[in-house]
Amino acid sequence: MIIQFDRIASVLFLAVGVLFIIGSQQLGNSSYGSAVGPDIFPLILGSILVLLSIRLFYETFIRKNEQGSKEKLRYKPFLIIFTATLFYILTMETIGYVITTFLFLFVCFQTMERSKWVQSLIISACFSGFIYFLYVEILKGTLPGWPVWFS
Amino acid sequence: MSTIDYLIQGFGTALIWYNIIFAFVGVLIGTAVGVLPGIGPMSGVALLIPVTASITGGLPPEQAATSAIILLAGVYYGAMYGGSTTSILLNTPGESSSVVTTLDGYQMAKKGRAGSALSIAAIGSFVAGIVTLAALVLLAKPLSAVAIKFGPAEYFSLMLLGLGAVSGLAGKSVTKALIMTVCGLLLGTIGIDSVSGIARFTFDVPWLFQGIEFLTIAVGLFALGEVFKTILEIDEENAEIAKINNLLPSKEELKESAAPIVRGSLLGFFVGILPGAGATLASFFSYILEKKVSKDPSKFGTGAIAGVAAPESANNAASGGAMIPLLTLGIPGSGTTAILMGALMMYNVQPGPLLFEDHPQVAWGLIASMFIGNIMLLILNLPLVKVFAKIIQTPKQFLIPIIIAISIFGVYAVQVSTNDLLLLLICGVLGYFLTKNDYPIAPLVLGLVLGPMVENNFRRALTISNGDFSIFLTRPISLVFILITLLWLVIPFMMKRRGKDVIINLEG
Repeated sequence: MIIQFDRIASVLFLAVGVLFIIGSQQLGNSSYGSAVGPDIFPLILGSILVLLSIRLFYETFIRKNEQGSKEKLRYKPFLIIFTATLFYILTMETIGYVITTFLFLFVCFQTMERSKWVQSLIISACFSGFIYFLYVEILKGTLPGWPVWFS
Repeated sequence: MSTIDYLIQGFGTALIWYNIIFAFVGVLIGTAVGVLPGIGPMSGVALLIPVTASITGGLPPEQAATSAIILLAGVYYGAMYGGSTTSILLNTPGESSSVVTTLDGYQMAKKGRAGSALSIAAIGSFVAGIVTLAALVLLAKPLSAVAIKFGPAEYFSLMLLGLGAVSGLAGKSVTKALIMTVCGLLLGTIGIDSVSGIARFTFDVPWLFQGIEFLTIAVGLFALGEVFKTILEIDEENAEIAKINNLLPSKEELKESAAPIVRGSLLGFFVGILPGAGATLASFFSYILEKKVSKDPSKFGTGAIAGVAAPESANNAASGGAMIPLLTLGIPGSGTTAILMGALMMYNVQPGPLLFEDHPQVAWGLIASMFIGNIMLLILNLPLVKVFAKIIQTPKQFLIPIIIAISIFGVYAVQVSTNDLLLLLICGVLGYFLTKNDYPIAPLVLGLVLGPMVENNFRRALTISNGDFSIFLTRPISLVFILITLLWLVIPFMMKRRGKDVIINLEG
């Protein structure tokens, strides 16, 4: 598990390093009054990253495969909460903070544990209302409050 | 002005009514963060930066920076107090620096001495906090006076030392830690280059011009990463909380633990100053030291009070000691101090030798407030320990989604951009997988925070030398720093080769 991850990761890090090297080549290589331009630091770092990822790739072959006990991961609630978070982020600016936060929290509470309906409703309503009131009314911050088509 | 005058001024700042409230809220939340398993000091501080940023928004910049850092530092050392509570009562450490405390603390609780274990831990932490603060006051001026003479070459090498030290101790594999450091530094190069004004790696996306925001990355990797871990790997264990009977330790117990507290404080302080070695290492070392010094080492592990007093003093002392390189040199030695540094930089306050001259209010206000905060913690922890123990029972069902909601609110409040929220979510997932596969995250955040400064000093040094790289090796102080960096990276590697176990710093 870890070794596979490391191999994939080392290839990805290698790619990142190479991309940064290529990217730094395209920057102007000198700025006025200085012998060193904006390209040199990312160039050096990119090269170090390439070397390190090769080393990591090499290490995955030396190490013996230590198969740890496989733990069960609860993917289902994670995926639901992840999707809920994504929707929350994408809709927040159009539908507004109060409604999206309320829905998001309620969905997540119920995903974590399917019980305490009333408590979940109350807590999500209080949290979203309280944060909005505190931040926008008292601290005068900016949050998209209500759906855009209301105002 | 002498140090004492500055300190008195600092108390003047720290005793303004809202700063007292900030310190109080900080240590209160800090204790809760320490008690709750799953939220460590790093994610706690990262989560609170945006919240404090919005609360302090109405104050003038310098006062806002002072108040914010008072609160955030309070969370940091408050967590060191709180961590002991769960170790002793539940046998589960609230944060990694309290792992050692479980060995004797839980045994004491089993024997019905939970109360004295808790109070000794609180007293030890308090003594340690005061000792390190006294040292901080004494060392601040001389250290920053030395550091102010450093040129860019010395500064570059010193930062290299900081990064190297953290990477060398941060995880099981030095390679992985170094990769994370380099990634952090590379992320720091994205955006408009401050020297030449050229946009780098932005692909003409306006959102990237101001650079990758450190706050988004830190909250995502630490706080959301932890949250996702809890969701994926939920463990339904309802451990029984040990009962607390007598709260005050007996005279014998106090006598027995006096020497370990002093030793733990001093050891912890010196370990804390070292970059890379944080509170976790300090508590390990002090436990080992106590075992060696003790006349009856077999007592350890069965409920020796010295086994609670020493590591708890040490981890608090280390958290105070870690403030010294941060405030005087501008080099954070751990993940949490890197986050504190990022917070200060958000307020345009640059930690480092000039901090004490440019912003004495911030520096001395913080130091003075740490005195006040430690007293508050002692008062809070002794009678209220039962209340804090109840926090452990906060149902995860409500806690986890609320942490996500706070992260999103916080990042949006500071950045006002959906792109940052998406980056936050991605960082959360990355944070989980990276930590799970032993890629330490602290070096990445450290690299991201230090990156622009490392690069500036690097380029300034090379400009002075006309592009000659040997400047880093010909200046003696710089050479010494580079040699220490190399040793720091090579020695653990050699020891691992020989099959020795190297204690690593999980806290980062």
